[in-house]
Amino acid sequence: MLKSAYQQSTLRSNFFVVWNELIKNLKFLLAYPTIIVFWAIFPIFWFIPFILQGQAFVGGLQSANFAQITGTGEYVPFIVIGAVLNSYVNTLLYGMGENIRREAYQGTLDYVLAAPCNKVYILIGKALSESLSSTIFAASQLTISVLLFGMNITLGVMLPVFFIVILFILGLYGMSLILAAVSLMYKQSYDIAESIGYVFYIFAPVRYPIESLPTWAQIFGKLIPLTYALIIVRSFMLLGTNLSTVYLEVLALLIIDIVLLLAGFYLFSWIEEKTKKSGTISHH
Amino acid sequence: MDKSNKEYGLREVKCPTGFNWSNLKAELKAVWESNLKDWKIEFAYPVSFIRQLISPLVFLLPFLIYGLVLIGGRYSENLAQLVGTGDVVAFIFTGYIMMGFIGTAVWAMGFSIRRERWFGTLEAIYVTPSSRLGQVLGMALHSTVHQILGIIIQFIVVYLTFGLALKIEGILPALGIFALMMIALYGFGIVISALGLILKEGWVVSDSLYSIMMILSPVAYPLIVLPTVAQQASALFPTAPALIGMRSFLIENYRPEVVGNVFLHLLTLGAAWILFGIVVFRLTDVYVRKRGMLKKF
Repeated sequence: MLKSAYQQSTLRSNFFVVWNELIKNLKFLLAYPTIIVFWAIFPIFWFIPFILQGQAFVGGLQSANFAQITGTGEYVPFIVIGAVLNSYVNTLLYGMGENIRREAYQGTLDYVLAAPCNKVYILIGKALSESLSSTIFAASQLTISVLLFGMNITLGVMLPVFFIVILFILGLYGMSLILAAVSLMYKQSYDIAESIGYVFYIFAPVRYPIESLPTWAQIFGKLIPLTYALIIVRSFMLLGTNLSTVYLEVLALLIIDIVLLLAGFYLFSWIEEKTKKSGTISHH
Repeated sequence: MDKSNKEYGLREVKCPTGFNWSNLKAELKAVWESNLKDWKIEFAYPVSFIRQLISPLVFLLPFLIYGLVLIGGRYSENLAQLVGTGDVVAFIFTGYIMMGFIGTAVWAMGFSIRRERWFGTLEAIYVTPSSRLGQVLGMALHSTVHQILGIIIQFIVVYLTFGLALKIEGILPALGIFALMMIALYGFGIVISALGLILKEGWVVSDSLYSIMMILSPVAYPLIVLPTVAQQASALFPTAPALIGMRSFLIENYRPEVVGNVFLHLLTLGAAWILFGIVVFRLTDVYVRKRGMLKKF
């Protein structure tokens, strides 16, 4: 009886930590409305040159060569989906590492890490707030793209797409945790996050199909969660396939998620302990 | 008991003022020192230095691979109809090499002041007897050299991987166009750095302007595919005329999308942007100092 009451109270406390971390981060975001507008709209400007390039090179909205490789000749929705999913990389990957750094800059990291709670719940709160804002930005970019480029999206596919996005976000959480750990130890996680962003941008099929890369680059690309997320979401949205057709890709994404999450949690706990002992937590 | 400067071992230095040779020499020295300072900071972070050096290549490759996948080769019939040449590799490469320099204007110059503020050294720099623009121009010089290094890497990789067919005899006039474009871009960069003095979230403005300029510049497509309003707006920025001018000297059979004297166009833009930049910077400078906003961020 007593144990059960204790367990209930622990559960409530942990939920309280996650909830308050989420609210705190959302308050930060709401304090800078220009940043909200920027992330909701401006990433579209980054892929418009690719659409204009397509029009100049093929003289229309269909490419026969593109259709041979990807199964669809429509390069505009291909580019849009690539860009929207890649925006999660930009916001989540940099967001988590920077979130920890921001606490250090503001002088609150010591207090956060000294709080009598499991630090994992603080990270879950941070991750949830980053995913929530990323999803709002992605939805806004997708809606604007649909209106601007006349894309057809069946609402029926949005549920499985949402499921895949969650799986993709989980993989990014794992990477973010590793980055947050690096940030605690080496303080400058920005360059590492940027470099990972470059790897994603080149080796994952963000702007072009993965088949257009050399074999060694394709193998490398298949270790990236974004690759599978893009292949699956494009199959649902552009080719009209279902889960049974892409179950192998879903399985691969799931395995990558598990590996990254386990590595992330382990590394963060280990480095947190190490920095606490060395007394360098608040250094920046 | 008062002691003289000589007794304290201090040397009196005369600060040159007004528009004369010794003042210009002193300002140029300040620009050079600011440039050296940026290199020293950059070399202190080797990972960041290497990442920034290869980043132009990272952003160029998707344009090239995507272009090749779209047409299934390196020759586009449609591009040839629009501008006379169908070689997409040469077209994209000559376009993209300019993009890094927009970054120089928007990011390096725009953030020179902001960065000093982060470091807590802005007030110290502001009380030195040199022009505030020297700091901005020093950063611009550093970033320009940095971008040139990036272009050399881009050239080597693209040449070895895809092969490049450019007219060697066109390099000299293309460099002339490049120099004129840089003057105008420096003016634009000065305007952005002035905005960095007042805006708390200056990177949003910088990134937004960079994105807009990227669309208005015919980097990976000819200007003709843009809507008419956008084509007209692109004439206000130096990148569009510079790209068209450089391509006509560097690419065989290239037919410029816009008729007119590119040199004259760039000269006018250069004078206008530099003048506008200096006026905006001066006004903002006076405004922030009067309001005591220098240290706020």
